[in-house]
Amino acid sequence: MMLKINNLKKIYPNGHQALDNINIEVQKGEFLVIIGLSGSGKSTLLKCINKLHPITKGQVVFNGQEISSLKGEEMRNAQSKMGMIFQHFNLIDRKSALTNVLTGALHKTSIIKSVFELFSAEQKEKAFEMLDIVGLKEKAFERVDNLSGGQKQRVAIARALMQSPSLLLADEPVASLDPATSHSVMDYLKKVNEELGVTIICNLHFLSLVREYAGRVIALKDGQLIFEGKPEQIDEDWFRKIYGEKAKEVFIK
Amino acid sequence: MKENGKRLKHFLFDVLLWTYAVTSLYKIIYQNYILQVRYLEYHSQEFIFCLIAGAILSFLFSLIPQFSIFQGFSHKTNTPYLKRPYFILFLFILIITFINGIHFSQFSLREFFSESGMDGAKRIFWSLLHPNFDILGESLKAAVETVFMAFMATALAIPFSFILSFFAAKNLTRSSLFFKIIYTSARFVLNGTRSIEPLVWAIIFSVWVGIGPFAGMLALCLHSVASLSKLYSEQIENINEGPLDAIRSTGAHPVQVIWFGVVPQIILPFLSFTIYRWDINVRMATVIGLVGGGGIGTMLMQYQGTARWNEVGLLIIIIALIVWAMDTMSSKIREKIK
Ligand SMILES: Nc1ncnc2c1ncn2[C@@H]1O[C@H](COP(=O)(O)OP(=O)(O)OP(=O)(O)O)[C@@H](O)[C@H]1O
Ligand SMILES: [Mg+2]
Repeated sequence: MMLKINNLKKIYPNGHQALDNINIEVQKGEFLVIIGLSGSGKSTLLKCINKLHPITKGQVVFNGQEISSLKGEEMRNAQSKMGMIFQHFNLIDRKSALTNVLTGALHKTSIIKSVFELFSAEQKEKAFEMLDIVGLKEKAFERVDNLSGGQKQRVAIARALMQSPSLLLADEPVASLDPATSHSVMDYLKKVNEELGVTIICNLHFLSLVREYAGRVIALKDGQLIFEGKPEQIDEDWFRKIYGEKAKEVFIK
Repeated sequence: MKENGKRLKHFLFDVLLWTYAVTSLYKIIYQNYILQVRYLEYHSQEFIFCLIAGAILSFLFSLIPQFSIFQGFSHKTNTPYLKRPYFILFLFILIITFINGIHFSQFSLREFFSESGMDGAKRIFWSLLHPNFDILGESLKAAVETVFMAFMATALAIPFSFILSFFAAKNLTRSSLFFKIIYTSARFVLNGTRSIEPLVWAIIFSVWVGIGPFAGMLALCLHSVASLSKLYSEQIENINEGPLDAIRSTGAHPVQVIWFGVVPQIILPFLSFTIYRWDINVRMATVIGLVGGGGIGTMLMQYQGTARWNEVGLLIIIIALIVWAMDTMSSKIREKIK
């Protein structure tokens, strides 16, 4: 078992309860997709798994280790084994694609060395390799603010892969991309999942993408888990339950 | 209940305003301008009388609709301003305020156009326009001293402000109580330091380390640390937090998170602020010289003290040139790195 979430509850400091009693199990090598309306708690869930946000109650067991109570170096150690990509890419704009990818290796680099960007030769070689996986080797020395949205997201994937993660968390990785680019980025995630065996948990908005890429689907509504199953099982009824009575499906080709 | 509270508040403000008006009318306009009393004395009984008069006036005005000033301004109507009684009263108080201003600033056209005064001014302007170049070497040395004093003050301020600014940034310090305390105390100290003028710091330091450029430099440096930290930390508060999250999510150490997530986003604005600061410091350095902070300001003070206006003329030209040069240079550089 890769990840086990028990009775997870998240209350933000302002008192808003974003997640309530979430139980999820994720097997190694899965491609799990989380869907749900805006505000249903998808991003919060990913951030709780990766400990960007502290957890209010419950447990997150990652690779057999209970991580919700970890702090300091131990917490960072656990974080370093999970890659994360974001809707707005969150790259360092003024730096090259290569440097951005190398930031994935910060956990293994001493503070002094990283301040002077003294990454080892192996690390650099690996960063090139990761860029190659996402088809951007020739853009290695380009500043990332000169890249297109799709290319930026691929750099972000390479950065996450640089961590040699066993789990990759993707928070709406294609929400700010056009349909064609969305597919290409999703294909890279699929490749990472199938060829490198990285387990993926991915938040998505479009059901057509869900049907195409998801191995299993979880739906959140108002911070609660209301559906779990295969993508084919989401019929009209479920669709209305998840997205509300008035919702209509939009297709992305 | 809330209505009444508002009413009371308006009434109290009106009382303050009318007390002020009655006091001014009585002391400044009646005693000073009409009775021409030479030495105005201020007695507390008089003030209490004025307060009572103000309160009575406000009470009377609050009985007539549209006459209470604060109430009037808090209501929205479409009547033209000059047809609203409270507005006329407000204008009346404004005029009184101008008369007060003229009285307190000892504004006097008679002095300004007096024969002897004009002669003195003419003489000075004449000398200023004929600078004495004999002291050129000496003044250039002092000018160089001033520029370097400002440079050192800025350079020394950079590392301190850089580190302090992270502790004075809200978005980086909200994570724990410990950091919140640091944030609050950092802000407090910085605001306190900044609210004391460098001129005052220079006086303090010239007692401490003796009159001269070093005292001026320390004064400027302290003030620069306070201002730069504030500007820097505001810049940090405005960064995009996305990259920060991303770096943190890789398991990086907090120092690495700041170095990669924050620093690249703020380095250029920091540079720009710093150059601007140097520019300001050069101007301030001349002023600080006047109280013994060394450099060209001290020289200026010495020559004007002995009324040697030709020498002062040269110094003013040099100061103007330096300020102009620094200003152009700093704006050019800041334009480039935007
Ligand atoms: N830092 C925060 N502080 C307080 N409340 C928050 C915070 N972040 C999110 N929330 C609230 O928690 C709820 C869940 O937010 P979350 O971002 O997880 O939703 P989401 O499913 O990712 O939505 P979207 O599809 O719009 O990204 C929302 O109601 C949101 O307003
Ligand atoms: Mg979200």
